[in-house]
Amino acid sequence: MNITCNQLDDLLFDAGELAMTTADRHADGCASCREKLDAWKEISDVASSMQTTWKNDMLWPRIERSLRDERSRSVRTWSWQWAAAILLTVALGATAWYALRVRNHEASFDQDILRVSALDDVERAEQVHVEAIAKLERVAEPKLDEASTPLMVSYKEKLMLLDDAIAECQANIEHNRQNAHLRKQLLAMYSEKQQTLRDVLREESTHETH
Amino acid sequence: MSLVLPASDSDRNTDDRQLAAACAAGDTSVFEEIYRRFGDRMKSIAWNHLGNISDAEDVVQEAFLKVHRAAATFTGEASLSTWIYRIVVNTCYDVLRRRRRRIEEAPIDETTETAERTAPNVDDAKRITLRKLLNELPEQRRSVFELFEIEGLSHAEIGEILGITEGNSKWILFATKKELQAKWKRNQ
Repeated sequence: MNITCNQLDDLLFDAGELAMTTADRHADGCASCREKLDAWKEISDVASSMQTTWKNDMLWPRIERSLRDERSRSVRTWSWQWAAAILLTVALGATAWYALRVRNHEASFDQDILRVSALDDVERAEQVHVEAIAKLERVAEPKLDEASTPLMVSYKEKLMLLDDAIAECQANIEHNRQNAHLRKQLLAMYSEKQQTLRDVLREESTHETH
Repeated sequence: MSLVLPASDSDRNTDDRQLAAACAAGDTSVFEEIYRRFGDRMKSIAWNHLGNISDAEDVVQEAFLKVHRAAATFTGEASLSTWIYRIVVNTCYDVLRRRRRRIEEAPIDETTETAERTAPNVDDAKRITLRKLLNELPEQRRSVFELFEIEGLSHAEIGEILGITEGNSKWILFATKKELQAKWKRNQ
């Protein structure tokens, strides 16, 4: 196959055996292409002689040592990462637990305050009743001692029953001061006693006018 | 660990994946097998990129560490050898960039090296000339030339190593040789 100088590059790009033989044949009759082709081949020849090797018996042991170091380093790093993760989890857990505990403690403290304050209110109300009853009793006592009518006698018995019931209720409250039900019962009995004493006094004044 | 050369491409893929898995597991005997199989070419590629034995050995060592770290990600799409050579070439690029940042690259003193050439009969002066011309080339063109002409790899392998197509590798080689051909006579 005959080629022109312009086609030499195509053959060099192809670089196959047939292409190089064709280029060689053309170069035999063309000094300029011969120079180019010789330089092309010489570059390849010189390059192929540059594959380099050397013996170093210490290289593999060095690589092996660095691989061993790398592995132990990665194990150490891995262990540290785990330890750090565990420590972080524990720290977060402890913080959360402490925060929850403080919150619960504050809530319970608030509830205690409320309970104590409510109890104070109830006891103050009871005290008012007790004082009012004491005043009424002082006035009504002589009349009850000299009870002359069946109604007055029945009032006296009712008051005695109320006193027993109040005493029993107070004894129960001593064991459980925060029992709301007992407190209500006591207040109801105080009110009833107060009302009965008022009835006694009213009955006595009605009796005197007649 | 003794390994038998694979008979076909699929055998080669399986064999390569097994080797990579053993590397990831840290099996030292596998690394020794890899060193035995590919070590010489790894050294040659590194030497031809960097020009001195000490740096080339450092690169080979660093490449083994990188293989160990990345072995778990080896998919078997490329052959293990080209994957390893790719690591070597990229590590060489890192060294060259570091060098460029620090100082002007020291000229290669060919006479002080104790490396052996596969063809010792070729004139040393010509090798020095070619080395000088190669040092002036951009990284990729130089790599294509060195991997094809010096290491004797195929364009398909070079494509896998450098992340380019086979056709592109062939074109880069042609363009590089044209450039070298033009300078060759002037430098003789």
